Amino acid sequence: MDRSIAVWVGAALALVVLIALPLGWLAYLSVSGEHGATLGHYREAFADPALQKALWNTVVLAFWTGLVSVAIGAPLAWLTARTDVPARGLIRGLVLASFVTPPFLGAFAWVMLAGPNAGILNTLWRSVTGAEEPLLNIFTMPGLVFVVAIYTFPYVYIMVANTLALIASDLEEAAAILGAGRLAVARTVTLPMVLPALASGFILAVLQALALFGSPAILALPAGFHTVTTQIWSLFQFPPKVEQAAAFSIPLLLATALLLQVQKRLLGRRGYAAVGGKGGQRRTIPLGPWRWPALAACLLVMSAAIFLPYGVLAKGAFVRAWAQPLSRDNLTLGNFAFTFFEYGSTRAAIVNTLELAVLTACVGAAMVALLSYVTNRRLVVGHQLVAFLVLAPVVVPGVVLAVGLFIAYTRPPFVLYGTLWILFLAYLTKEMPVGYAQADATFRAIPADLEDAGRVLGAGRLRILREITAPLAKSGIIAAWCFIFIGVIRELSASILLFTPSTKVMSVVIFDLKEEGQFGAISVLGLVMLALTFATVALVQAALGRDVLGARR
Amino acid sequence: MSKRSTGLAVAVALLAGLVARGEAQTPSTHLEAAKKEGKVVWYTSLVLPSAERVAKLFETAYPDIKVEVHRTGSQRILQRVMQELSANIKNVDVIHTSDAGHYVLLKEKKLLAKYTPAGVEGFPAGFKDKDGYYYGLRATVNAIFYNTKAMSAAEAPKTWKDLLDPKWKGKMVTAHPGYSGVIATHVLALVHLYGWDYFKALSQNKLMIVQSANDPSTVVSSGERIVAVNGGDYSAYQLKKKGNPIEIVYPKEGVPLVVSPTAITAFAPHPNAARLFTDFTFTREVQQVMADSEGLYTGHPDVKYPADKPKLNELKLLTVTPEELEKRNEELRKRFVEFFGA
Amino acid sequence: MPGVILKALTKRYGDVGAVDGLSLEIKPGELLALLGPSGCGKTTTLRLVAGFLAPEAGEIWVGDRCLSTPTSVVPPERRRMAMIFQSYALWPHMTVAQNVAYGLRFKPGLSRGDREARAREMLRVVQLAGYEARYPGELSGGQQQRVAVARALVVEPEILLLDEPLSNLDANLREEMRFEIRRLHETFGITTLYVTHDQAEAMVISDRIAVLQAGRVAQAGTADDLYHRPRTRFVAEFIGRTNVVEGVAASRDTVTRGTVRLRVASGELEPGARVVLSIRPHQLRLGAPGDATDATNALRGTVRRTAFLGDTVDYEIAIAGSDLVLRAAAPPTPRFEIGAAVGVRIDPAGCVPLADGD
Repeated sequence: MDRSIAVWVGAALALVVLIALPLGWLAYLSVSGEHGATLGHYREAFADPALQKALWNTVVLAFWTGLVSVAIGAPLAWLTARTDVPARGLIRGLVLASFVTPPFLGAFAWVMLAGPNAGILNTLWRSVTGAEEPLLNIFTMPGLVFVVAIYTFPYVYIMVANTLALIASDLEEAAAILGAGRLAVARTVTLPMVLPALASGFILAVLQALALFGSPAILALPAGFHTVTTQIWSLFQFPPKVEQAAAFSIPLLLATALLLQVQKRLLGRRGYAAVGGKGGQRRTIPLGPWRWPALAACLLVMSAAIFLPYGVLAKGAFVRAWAQPLSRDNLTLGNFAFTFFEYGSTRAAIVNTLELAVLTACVGAAMVALLSYVTNRRLVVGHQLVAFLVLAPVVVPGVVLAVGLFIAYTRPPFVLYGTLWILFLAYLTKEMPVGYAQADATFRAIPADLEDAGRVLGAGRLRILREITAPLAKSGIIAAWCFIFIGVIRELSASILLFTPSTKVMSVVIFDLKEEGQFGAISVLGLVMLALTFATVALVQAALGRDVLGARR
Repeated sequence: MSKRSTGLAVAVALLAGLVARGEAQTPSTHLEAAKKEGKVVWYTSLVLPSAERVAKLFETAYPDIKVEVHRTGSQRILQRVMQELSANIKNVDVIHTSDAGHYVLLKEKKLLAKYTPAGVEGFPAGFKDKDGYYYGLRATVNAIFYNTKAMSAAEAPKTWKDLLDPKWKGKMVTAHPGYSGVIATHVLALVHLYGWDYFKALSQNKLMIVQSANDPSTVVSSGERIVAVNGGDYSAYQLKKKGNPIEIVYPKEGVPLVVSPTAITAFAPHPNAARLFTDFTFTREVQQVMADSEGLYTGHPDVKYPADKPKLNELKLLTVTPEELEKRNEELRKRFVEFFGA
Repeated sequence: MPGVILKALTKRYGDVGAVDGLSLEIKPGELLALLGPSGCGKTTTLRLVAGFLAPEAGEIWVGDRCLSTPTSVVPPERRRMAMIFQSYALWPHMTVAQNVAYGLRFKPGLSRGDREARAREMLRVVQLAGYEARYPGELSGGQQQRVAVARALVVEPEILLLDEPLSNLDANLREEMRFEIRRLHETFGITTLYVTHDQAEAMVISDRIAVLQAGRVAQAGTADDLYHRPRTRFVAEFIGRTNVVEGVAASRDTVTRGTVRLRVASGELEPGARVVLSIRPHQLRLGAPGDATDATNALRGTVRRTAFLGDTVDYEIAIAGSDLVLRAAAPPTPRFEIGAAVGVRIDPAGCVPLADGD
């Protein structure tokens, strides 16, 4: 029989262990008591008023984040996809930048921008208007929603822009010729066709908000409220209540799974292909006098997500006191010196982060390539299960995954806590779906005929994989590698539970520094992280020959 | 085994015994062993730049031994240590936090090694564990800080009770006893003084909550809030020295004294380096550095304090015992969260 | 040159394209077309023969080698076959020469130079000399097709498999390639299985045709056989157009439907049984209504619709005294207008009873 079967089965089994072990332990521990199975941990968790409140806060945060993301993302998508608003390429680039910005860095920058008293924007506001009250207070629920939404709206943007790009203008013109006015066309044709994409973008944004740890930890905790993720994290404080944390993780897991199911339904089984306009042209809509105001609105959004935060981080990196004006006395390179030479953890953390990112990206890219090959070509019995499992981590928020991994790998047979390996496993598991989606699209675009043709002529499976498939899939797999890499260097929510002092990564160091108010060092590290991210994005774009946000080549 | 090699083994054992006995008195021998270990792992809640400075001083004195500094809040350190032990990870040599209660707990769990650092004979009793497991490396007092750009000295709050005035609503910051041992001590001391009602009333003023006891001073000097209701006075003192607009008020009701102990773990992977490092941190030189550049108090009788800081004996000190702190830690955190949120 | 024998092959997945107890023999050196509508199982059969699929029941033999049984399947790379795909499946990252020479890598004893020489020679045969260094993306559809053919033939396979190879070409090119493929078959004489849904293509290219219906062979034979002696209604309707007349056997050689009586040449009917006849449109001779009304199989009818097709005229005729409506293909003269009464005569040899009327 096929000698390559061992490779496929091996990859599939590795996947099962990777996913099933932590989640299995999580479920098990959440119901295990001293005397057999119990629902006690659930009762304890959900009867605690503090935890109930955290749950409610999360619902509020997620819902509003979804709405605000739609309110920002959908118009922006329409403007760039269908109108003649100036600088569309620039706007798209900025949306991409917001997409890859680590949200906790954004949150941190907004503390410097809109802390109610010292925040630079508020100081400016007071000096201009003479007002007593701050313009913005970032340490509030609306503030948190705002900061989360400016980094999650790209999910809505991507869904809507890609759908709009697929709707041929014919469809709208067909309505127009039957007598529908511009508004009527938008209401009866365009909107209904975009609606599934809009709704699913909303759900993706909600999911992001549900799973986020960094931003709530930076903005909600000082304001005196918890979300589910920060609450799970604080359950790990001494004395740790791991069982309660496990029990508290399960609803987050279920909510995510449910929402994703709804999203899948909305998009239909064929995804946007359902809207696929074949060959039809897409004509741009002239905005007339509204062109420049529209551009201004876009740039306003982008200044909230990109210009202001990046600017304040740059300032923070080069000054002694970030709240004071830029003056000669205030300028310093001391933050760089402190970060790289005096603070012992930094260099180790950067090395750890890079090691982990490269390792995870290599192993991850190889794994998603093999697995998506297995599922695309249906090489093993149960390939549907493989496809399900490899995407399953999507429903596991980082903190929850970390709880599962912590439980699974602090006890035999695999004691990995305290080593980089547990972080590696966390990242590998967490980034698997992103990489898989990319690899899957790649293999889907390579017809099986190309391989069959080689086999009939006498080449074995593995040889075909090497000589035919791999060269064709190369750029797609490089892109998968980069996506995983970017995901790893910004990862905080799982790392924060799994690190030990000798296995700190950059995001954790930033978080540590934050708790101590070391703004300068955070800014420096933040810039390093952004530089790494954008270098990698440039690599993806080069590999794919298109921008990362696009739906098709 | 031959007779000769048996004889050799006995000789080695004897020699080892001699060395072991002589160790405390002859630093040069445990210096050799420490050099072989090559490093010491220090979990510390000392504010980051200070911790790094102490580490640098040690590495200058002993170039062959590296100090691995892991700085985080007192409670995080305990969490970390326990979490690591539960996974059977033995990483830390020296633990230094500001929550004396931790040491009661760690001692009970037999996780500390008995060790008396050189030169602590002259320290006051409050700096010494009667069983000889941990010793106070430094001390600080909790005080009130205010932003000098926002108010004059006359307008500033003078006492803990002054902070209850509604005019400070939305203008104050507190650190968290669930993170910081300094703050846990502070809360317990004020509970002794005024009961929980004090904090209930204080929470009406809508405080900003930060984690570390070093952070209220940075928040106040940046102007994000203009009054800090607690925090180690040394962090404010340093900022003030650097020219930040911050001033320290030592309330007349008394200031909670926080003695931050240090101890060597029973499972230390680098025990000799740990002892060498511990001795080093108790030398007059290092203790003086802490007083000079960090603005800390110490137990060392020969240390001279900056002229612009009050002497410890000029202040009314509020103290709590480590045992009580240990017992009521959970309660402190719970009640605090109940009043202030997160 | 071995032949291929398929014995009671079964492969089910879903319902569409399943193969259900299919038996078929392809004689050595023969080109056999597998013809059928989409979903009849023809591509599944081809992939079973190629070894991409394992049968659930049945066997595949090539000469004296058994290649597939439910328990053991020789993988595609060891079957000594070649295949031409509907999509051509040319590797976009290899040049034309590399594409063609690829299969030769697996032939022992060939040096690189041998391989290149053979590829060049084969490209000359398919009239693509000079295109060696091009990439597939730089070729037209017809040229890509030729490269695919060259890649398959250069390895001198025992069996050649073609999966609707012409369906992506435009009409003119398709016609040209039909003859080209036939020419190459006559040159090389490789046992060939050719899958198509286009009956004209099957008739031009193949020695024999096997018509597939729902995963079984409905009928196999030469184009002439299938056209003139279809055994089932399905075959009769699939190969060319036909009139299907249901009736009852009045005697061994007569079928009645109402007042209509039709003589059947074969004369092997079972009196009283239900009979289905296939009558090709060109078997209907049209004349004036009064002509020889007593002659064999003479009917009368009215023209309901006509269509002028150049060399013939297509009529739809309602037969008098019956619910029958028959199609006739008649010469352009004489012409009959809509509403005209006509006489219709049908040669008894043109009335073919079908074995399977369903």
